[in-house]
Amino acid sequence: MSNIPFRSDQVVEELVQFNKNLSKGVKNLLDADEISAGVTPREEIYAEDKLKLYRYQPSAGVVQNKIPTLIVYALVNRPYMADIQENRSTIRGLLDTGQDVYLIDWGYPDRADKYLTLDDYINGYIDRCVDVIRERHGVDKINILGICQGGVFSLCYTTLHQDKVKNLVTMVTPVDCKTPDNMLSHWVQQMDIDAIVDAMGNLPGEMLNWTFLNLKPFQLMGQKYVSMVDIISDEKNVKNFMRMEKWIFDSPDQAGEAFRQFIKDFYQQNKLVEGGLKIGEHEVDLKQLKTPVLNIFAEQDHLVPPASSKILPKLIGSKDYTELSFPGGHIGIYVSGKAQSTVTPAISDWLNTRSK
Amino acid sequence: MSENNPWADQWFEAQQKFVDAWGDMARSGGADGGGSQSDLWSQGFDMWRKACAGRTQPDMDLVMRKCMDMSKEYFSMAEQVSKSLGDGANPVEAVNQWLEEVKQSLQKFSGMPGFNGTGVADFMKQWFTPNASWQEMVAGLTPMNQAFWQMPGMNTSVFNLGEAIDPLGKILEAPGIGYFREPQEKQQKGIQLALEYQEANFRFNQAFLRVAIESIHGFQQRLMTLDEETAPKSMRELYDLWVEISEQHYAEFAMSEEYQALYGDMVNRLMIMRKHYGEIADDFLRSLNLPNTREIDTMQERLQRVRRENFALKKDIREIRAMLAQLGAKAAASTTARPARNKSTPRKPAAAKPAAAKPAAAKPAAAKTVTQRAPAKKTATRKAAVSKTAAKKAKVTRSRAGA
Repeated sequence: MSNIPFRSDQVVEELVQFNKNLSKGVKNLLDADEISAGVTPREEIYAEDKLKLYRYQPSAGVVQNKIPTLIVYALVNRPYMADIQENRSTIRGLLDTGQDVYLIDWGYPDRADKYLTLDDYINGYIDRCVDVIRERHGVDKINILGICQGGVFSLCYTTLHQDKVKNLVTMVTPVDCKTPDNMLSHWVQQMDIDAIVDAMGNLPGEMLNWTFLNLKPFQLMGQKYVSMVDIISDEKNVKNFMRMEKWIFDSPDQAGEAFRQFIKDFYQQNKLVEGGLKIGEHEVDLKQLKTPVLNIFAEQDHLVPPASSKILPKLIGSKDYTELSFPGGHIGIYVSGKAQSTVTPAISDWLNTRSK
Repeated sequence: MSENNPWADQWFEAQQKFVDAWGDMARSGGADGGGSQSDLWSQGFDMWRKACAGRTQPDMDLVMRKCMDMSKEYFSMAEQVSKSLGDGANPVEAVNQWLEEVKQSLQKFSGMPGFNGTGVADFMKQWFTPNASWQEMVAGLTPMNQAFWQMPGMNTSVFNLGEAIDPLGKILEAPGIGYFREPQEKQQKGIQLALEYQEANFRFNQAFLRVAIESIHGFQQRLMTLDEETAPKSMRELYDLWVEISEQHYAEFAMSEEYQALYGDMVNRLMIMRKHYGEIADDFLRSLNLPNTREIDTMQERLQRVRRENFALKKDIREIRAMLAQLGAKAAASTTARPARNKSTPRKPAAAKPAAAKPAAAKPAAAKTVTQRAPAKKTATRKAAVSKTAAKKAKVTRSRAGA
């Protein structure tokens, strides 16, 4: 065994310092205000069931793209990830670079929503939100930006409603759900999804949380809290940490029937790649997708491995396809400083030149 | 001065004294009256944390608890390392010896009924966090309340109680008789399903135990290969290295066929059991003439079907109205011989167009595809622009239009 170049008394001093930091940090935790979710001003312009469609207040003095952009977030977790804090907001970045931003907030489904299907979400909710925005702006087509599972929905929606979508941006979107490095997919292959939905009705958010945290349990449930001690003596860091923490554990339940179809069709049968996907009565054939596509993925994404997204150009019929690779993770692509200065401007740049 | 919690300053002052006292004690090399330093630390901090309970935002309290728990595990590891380094022996051999002891202590739990991570060295408890959090979650999701899962054996892995009350399996297999035959059989089946779930959970936990032991071996091997440059320079670096190696071993296990089967089996058996108890609860509610899940499901499914039909009908009506409006406009235009469309009039969204007009709309769309190729050509130029300015680090890796 090699040398261990530190002594016992150094370990003690490290622990004493750790203790001091922890003590200061705990005081900051005690003193912290309630953590707010989402920071950019917005107005609700449409609501249906638990869904709310928001329009974000445009940035003053910025020339606005005439084609509005609708953000379609995943059903898992909450969309304020894209607007987590003042200086770490994808939405703020899009507004500042001229986009007119709308967002669908799915809310928290409960027992009454159990029978919502993917057809209800995609050809129902999303389609009606798109119509509301088109009507407001007097345009035939709008831009759509789909995030993660919302990217899958957006791909399906755009394929089925190309007359309403000008440009499509997919971010960290799982397309091939059976790449060899996909841990989530690996875990669900032998799961009896029917038994889960039949037993639980809706899939509880706690189960999803357990699943996501256990993809990297040592980092996400252990090391993170030890490392937190290094930074929480600063009040600002406490707030930032708590915002992320709030988001991570803010997991809505999943409407049972939609969850059943999503896991079976996408994760177990990989129908976006293998074919045979139907949303309601409509077959989704990605080869029919001719809309311009910007596909963005994160190189260190442990939830949606890059290979899962990178297959997209082989499957779609669009001749205008652009790919953007971000050197970070699934969450970092929204909240890191690097993402604010690179990803968001690149999206706006791409949209602005295609929205004339 | 703390604004939200005025008492927090006093708390902080008192707590600082504790921290200083703990530091003095740790520097002097031990605790009076026995007990480990990490135990004393943990008891002290736990006391301070409890003093704050209910006075903080709920989210904060949870984070504080997690932070304390994980810090305790870190302290436990640091204490062991500190002891190993401080007893005058070769530090490398001392640490190795300590890891051997940890391995041996874990091996004792192999095959042990009811093992769930309790009793292992504090820092190794992290290996059993997935199992512990699974149990917590299950307790919240199953019809049995917390008390059920706290019964001997039930909160862990093997249904010892079942063996105790029915060692030969005769009671569970006894045929139902008489008027209560059906309920009796359902209850028997419920216990049988609970047993099967517990066995699946046991297999899952035991596999974790095996991989945890392997990870310590992996940690020892990694320490062997480190040179002066790559060796951890502090306790924290050593901890981070341990996390890295544990995560690697876990990931290999989690991506194995074995894990997929064990995890799938555990989830499936839990769900089958839960569904069965749900049916028993439904029967009970029905006997009281109260609505049950089956009935509510039926109503919800019907309601959702009606809502879909409603939306479809509304859409049809909108389209018919738009078609009528268009026909009316055409008729008016032909009588006045004016241009069909005033250019200054905002265009109507496609949603307002009649369904029959849709195929016609496809033609301009195809034309637009051609025009969109022009901007697409710009993509190549923009690609460069993005990589130079906005996308300093993000890479536009391919552009079909630019290719």
